Amino acid sequence: MDLRDREFWMVILSGLALGTLGVLLAVWGNPANSGICVSCFIENSAGALGLHNNPRMQYLRPELIGFLLGSVASAVIGREFKSRGGSAPLLRLISGIFLIIGCAVFIGCPIKLLLRLTAGDLTAVAGVAGLVSGVWIGLKMAVNGVELGPQQSERSGGGLLMPLLFLLLLAFFITRPDFINFSTKGSGAEAAPWLLALGAGLLLGALAQRSQFCITGSIRDLFLVGLRSYLPWGLGIFMVSALIAGAVSGRLNLGLYGQPGAHLDHLWSFLGMMLVGWVSILIGGCPFRQLVKAGEGNTDAGLVVVGMFIGGAVSQSWGIAATAAGVSLYGKAAVLIGLAFMLAISLLLRRREG
Amino acid sequence: MKIDAFDKLLWILLSVVLIALALLLWQGSHRSGASGKSVSDRAMERELTYQARVALVQKLYGPVEELRSKGELQSALLKLDELARLYPGEAHGYILQAEILQQLGLIETALTNYVAGIRLDGDYIDKKSPLSRREEISRFVAEAERSIGSRAAANPSNRTLAVARKDLNYLKSRLAGGCE
Amino acid sequence: MRLIFAVPNTALKSLALFTALICALLLSGCNAKQEHKVMKIGYMICNSEQETMDRFAPLTRYLSDKTGIEFEPVPVDTQDFEPRFKKGEFALTHGNSLLYVILRERYTLTLLAAEKRGRFGSRTGGAIIARKDSGITKLADIKGKRMVFGPMLAPTGYLAEYDLMLRSGIDPEKDLAYYAIPPGSFKHEKLIYAVLYGQFDVAAAPLLDLELMVKEGKISAEDFVILAQTPIIPYCTFGAAKDTDPKIVAKVRQALLELTPETTVEVGGERVKVLKTAWIDGFEELKDSDYNPIREMAKRVNMPPYATY
Repeated sequence: MDLRDREFWMVILSGLALGTLGVLLAVWGNPANSGICVSCFIENSAGALGLHNNPRMQYLRPELIGFLLGSVASAVIGREFKSRGGSAPLLRLISGIFLIIGCAVFIGCPIKLLLRLTAGDLTAVAGVAGLVSGVWIGLKMAVNGVELGPQQSERSGGGLLMPLLFLLLLAFFITRPDFINFSTKGSGAEAAPWLLALGAGLLLGALAQRSQFCITGSIRDLFLVGLRSYLPWGLGIFMVSALIAGAVSGRLNLGLYGQPGAHLDHLWSFLGMMLVGWVSILIGGCPFRQLVKAGEGNTDAGLVVVGMFIGGAVSQSWGIAATAAGVSLYGKAAVLIGLAFMLAISLLLRRREG
Repeated sequence: MKIDAFDKLLWILLSVVLIALALLLWQGSHRSGASGKSVSDRAMERELTYQARVALVQKLYGPVEELRSKGELQSALLKLDELARLYPGEAHGYILQAEILQQLGLIETALTNYVAGIRLDGDYIDKKSPLSRREEISRFVAEAERSIGSRAAANPSNRTLAVARKDLNYLKSRLAGGCE
Repeated sequence: MRLIFAVPNTALKSLALFTALICALLLSGCNAKQEHKVMKIGYMICNSEQETMDRFAPLTRYLSDKTGIEFEPVPVDTQDFEPRFKKGEFALTHGNSLLYVILRERYTLTLLAAEKRGRFGSRTGGAIIARKDSGITKLADIKGKRMVFGPMLAPTGYLAEYDLMLRSGIDPEKDLAYYAIPPGSFKHEKLIYAVLYGQFDVAAAPLLDLELMVKEGKISAEDFVILAQTPIIPYCTFGAAKDTDPKIVAKVRQALLELTPETTVEVGGERVKVLKTAWIDGFEELKDSDYNPIREMAKRVNMPPYATY
């Protein structure tokens, strides 16, 4: 750890901002313990776009738009915007679907997982164990030759498509055409003021692009190089700042029962997050990181984002998403299918010695 | 990069299409104002449909509420049985049944009915919904916690109390909020 | 002889070991058979013997499968229940809560589990009802009227309503024009129909039957006025004779409490849902003290096991 290294402080700043804003956005109006949740935001946004018809989960989250556009801005300013892709695009699209399925069964992305944990929600412990296990499995697979292959630079400018799409989503959010749904009840109706939300998203997207901060990447680095990597420090700061912000705002409630947006099917929390961790390692980042990479012109990440929207849609439409009552049969089956998918593609992709 | 004539043609065509799109959108937004016709407002329609549903539910279950107000709780319960035949799976019936059972002091069965109703329709736990029973359910949860909590702790092997405990935790979780 | 003695020792040892194993297996089978006995469960008949068997044969099979004990269902008429239990014709009982109290007080019956059915779970109550257009609007109006009760040993078809009337200052023996109990089976439904079709003015109707008949569309809630309602008390109950092996008691209790709506059992080559076939929603644990309200009612009404005259 080099305290003179600007990169280190960028990671620390990213973690600090993520943890603090993760709590503040809930204080400002987002659902409890969901100040930042990429999977919930994607499910809400998919609903807003009419991809599912759960009237309680339809809202085009400005934070989500901000993450990607903030990353674009930072990449352009830093001259890091580059169209690249071509590494198993269809597999990445499908992986994006399972990424959100795993999150939906747990009820939260890796960021929300840690926000829930630092808010005292002990049901998140199983999810943490699952995420860490999934990252470990992903690393073991990588060591044994499972990889998606290299990316190539693209002259086609395909990397501009996701930024343009998200600009269109921003235009939709502002102009509110009548084909975009906005919930008037349920968690879709709970939202921080849109300018604050958008601003927070832009800031976090930009910081994450500069620092390459990623939850699963932090865990990965912890396994591989320990604290010599900066990312685990960022993760630690994220958790500490979320804990402090939660305590100060009176949202720290330690316990297993009665937690917002949480269920007691610990096994499926574990397996859902295990799927998320594993997929994240294979495709190079958690859901948040995929949005940031898409903003940098990475078309493979862009396809993951498309897959995530599809995953958000089917999670709601097909009854896969878990609720406080627990995980449905479809949710359990979807996680197992996801794990089977990961095992199958590991067998197919694996580069064997000799 | 050298731009040749073909590139110029493509740029011109792209500009034409974008201008046409902009004109179309501009005309579309102005036409609705000029002719006096309103563009179909799906959000408004949805809201009206929802309000109509709320009004219908309140009308259908009005007789039950009337019997309740007269203190005829058993008759109210029988009326609910009749409505359940016609409208099976309607959350409002479960919620009303839960309230009446609560009045009769039957906490565990009231709990089961609250859970069934809220699982069908989370509006009853929303702060802003016209059907909201959030305050009443919060009070009920506190009462149920006192009644069931101590008995469940004293009888850890009692399955009925364990199920009641699980239902209680579900209500507490829904009251706490979250993405649902 | 030389050939016999020519067999190697190891082969002999293997043969001896094998033979010993077979004997042990056979003997253990014999032991199981010796322990194997049939235990009978007496099921109180609600309407008919056939209906009782149809309802409870799968439950009995389930208990057998779950506990490893062979149970046999025995349908028993309510009036014969106590004498046949006393004779030891069955060790386990399934009957209404008044029967439970009688057997508990007289023979120290052990409480196993209470049956859940209807909206009140393992409890229910009774009501005194009249037809909506009868002009009878309050309990006091039933004086001088014709009333129909359920069978005398029905806790919510007779006992609870009789007690309610006494506590309200109405003596059924003196203040009614007359009262009757329907003959035959389906008594509870008959008394409700009797009021609906004007044969009687007032009925002592179990809330459970009212609920079921409304749900089945047999009657409308609008047809009746409920003049009064009794306290909610436990209803159908499983019990065990006091000398039943405590291990068996524990196993049966657990098996009953573990039943879920999805539990199935094979009966007559068909797989059936145990609870659905028995018309039951489940079982729950109650304490003996939960039956005290019934005891108090029986004392006030001078019913068994407290009848003094």
